[in-house]
Amino acid sequence: MSAPNENDHTALLAQSVGDFVQHGADLPRVRALAQTRAEFDRAQWQQLAELGWLGVLVPEDCGGLGLGLAEAAIVAEGIGRALTPEPYTAVAVLAARVLEQSADSALRNELLRGLVGGEQVPVVAWQEQPDDFAGLQVATTATPFEGGYRVSGEKQFVGGAAGANGYLVTAQSPDGLQLMWVPRDAAGCATGLVPLADGRNYGAVTLQDVAVPRENVLASGAAARAALSCALDHAAAVASAELVGMMKRTHEMSLDYLKTRVQFGKAIGSFQVLQHRTVDLHIQQELADAVLSEVVAQLDLAPDAVTRALAASRAKSRCADAALAITRAAIQFHGAIGFTEDCDVGLYVKRAMTVAAWLGNGRAHRVRYAALAAQSQREAA
Amino acid sequence: MNDWNAMSDEAFRAEARTFFESEFPSEFRFLPRRMRWHECRAWYLKLSRKGWIAPNWPREHGGMGLSPSKLLIYYEETERAGVGRMPDQGLTMVGPTLIRFGNDAQRGYFLPRIIAGEAIWCQGYSEPNAGSDLASLRTEAVPDGDDFVINGSKIWTSMAHDATHIYVLARTDKQAKKKQEGISFLLVDMKTPGITLRTIRNIAGHEEFCQVFFDNVRTPKENLVGELHKGWTIAKGLLGFERLNIGSPRRPLQALEKLEALAQARGLTADPAFVERLTELQLDLADLGSLYRRYVDKVRRGEVLGPDVSMLKVWSMETYQRLSELLLEAAGEYGAVEGEVAVGEVNIDVLSPFYNSRPGTIYGGSNEIQRNILAKYVLNLPS
Repeated sequence: MSAPNENDHTALLAQSVGDFVQHGADLPRVRALAQTRAEFDRAQWQQLAELGWLGVLVPEDCGGLGLGLAEAAIVAEGIGRALTPEPYTAVAVLAARVLEQSADSALRNELLRGLVGGEQVPVVAWQEQPDDFAGLQVATTATPFEGGYRVSGEKQFVGGAAGANGYLVTAQSPDGLQLMWVPRDAAGCATGLVPLADGRNYGAVTLQDVAVPRENVLASGAAARAALSCALDHAAAVASAELVGMMKRTHEMSLDYLKTRVQFGKAIGSFQVLQHRTVDLHIQQELADAVLSEVVAQLDLAPDAVTRALAASRAKSRCADAALAITRAAIQFHGAIGFTEDCDVGLYVKRAMTVAAWLGNGRAHRVRYAALAAQSQREAA
Repeated sequence: MNDWNAMSDEAFRAEARTFFESEFPSEFRFLPRRMRWHECRAWYLKLSRKGWIAPNWPREHGGMGLSPSKLLIYYEETERAGVGRMPDQGLTMVGPTLIRFGNDAQRGYFLPRIIAGEAIWCQGYSEPNAGSDLASLRTEAVPDGDDFVINGSKIWTSMAHDATHIYVLARTDKQAKKKQEGISFLLVDMKTPGITLRTIRNIAGHEEFCQVFFDNVRTPKENLVGELHKGWTIAKGLLGFERLNIGSPRRPLQALEKLEALAQARGLTADPAFVERLTELQLDLADLGSLYRRYVDKVRRGEVLGPDVSMLKVWSMETYQRLSELLLEAAGEYGAVEGEVAVGEVNIDVLSPFYNSRPGTIYGGSNEIQRNILAKYVLNLPS
């Protein structure tokens, strides 16, 4: 028997995502998140590992599938559709990409293998300021001591922190930026959780004189910066795929409702004003879908950093705003029912808000797009 | 013959840029209206000789057979160089229709003549009482010997005064149960006795469209495209090409080029509020490109475009209008001045994109009709 080729992998993956969406949507648990805040379910995470999803982007020599963003986007769209609260993009894209691009080391390989298997749940703690989704502003310090660094600082907006067992942290040292692994239970490392609209949490990670051994440094200087900025762009694109999954499901719910809800003796979907509104939202959905598939294909070709950032911003801007528009309109289409906790629409509205806000919202990405476009124009001139 | 698709995007763009910039006559660059045939004939023939007249046609019929991304580059470079819009119905509509629905004789006769600039086409669809409700058309074609005899009138026929031929939707069966049935698709030589024209001046002061009258006009039966009474099906298939063509980013790109030049000249790029609006529109257009390439890909694979292609037309033409409106706003006091105005270092006609972007939401089925189509046939909403 020959080894399956790449297309087989993609087809199998699409099949498993399809099955998962059919059976995996656990909306009662998602609804209960508001009270439980239990966004990370160990058994669920193990299932994602067994499906191979956590290793989509991880090289085969570290136990992954070695596929690209196009495949990660297929998984993420399913995650968005099913509203799975586990941090797929934060771990299997953002952290996996940072690790994959770090220098070859025993720790890197161990973390990647563990990530694929679900035992290691690393997330990236890079952000200190709002709107800094390129990881440029780092005030956290790494002070050298014999055998490593003592790290102090505060990281915010850490996606997936609730279930993480450690952080990929950026810190400034006298010899440049360091990217290092800090186990969650390291002495001096405290994880606070900031509740989000959808029942999940941002992590607020405080590091106080955390002793990080030298072998925990995964990348330094320009290499660390390059790994992080690439991973952030890739994660923004895959988060966009989650948003596409959410908008498609919500749009379907709205259309179903418009076709069945009867007022004035007719299905309300027969009214032209509602038809034209749904058409406009459908156009947003199709634009988002088209942009997303072009952008992930483009990013899989490893373009230069500016092209990559422009593409990622284009995807997140369109997909975030389209998802917000479609989910919000769904409340209106459903009428008062849409405003109730019992209605699934609200779950999608809230998840769309949190994924839109994380890694830069639509406006923030447009600001970045404009700055990058102006910069590349100046350089061309 | 070159295989353009084998070139890198960059190399193809460079070749297209050099060609359009060096060869397109400077007096017609950024013309505020459509080019008349006497103005663009030499350019048309030059493109034809180079093999570049039909970028969207397959190569076996004399086209360039460009891939979607190359086709978009071709259009981007024509817009960058300010190449005006020629009478292009033969290239965008009749050619693809005959390739798809015509017979060998029709293809063999008409396609080379379109490529050679010998057959210039206009579209005989709308009538004074059949606009959005096109299927209620009343122009009639009655079989008589080897011919059909046509009586009636078509209106809003763009560039009819430059056309050598017109394609006509005419009623051939008045007894048909549904108004969509009993319509046929006919090709007619404009020199045929009984055709008269009246030009109509548009809001911008240009005479670009006409009313065409048919008084016992004879066209041979071999000019029937597809089956008798089945013209509506062809018209619908052709509307797919039309919506793809109208939905391409090329026309909004014209407005964006001007807007960017004006923004530079007026120093608006330092105004964050303006930049935010500009960026939003730039992305509206860039994302239209992504959607457009998806549809061009379908056409290249030989798929029939479904009713969903209406989305392109809606988004393209409304983006065009939004761009033209921001252009007027960005122009401040100049936003009311006729003709070219000198703003800083550039000369810009700011009113023409405003005028030129108006009809796009009306012709080819108004955008409201497109939304009805999308609601009914794509979203399956009840009526």
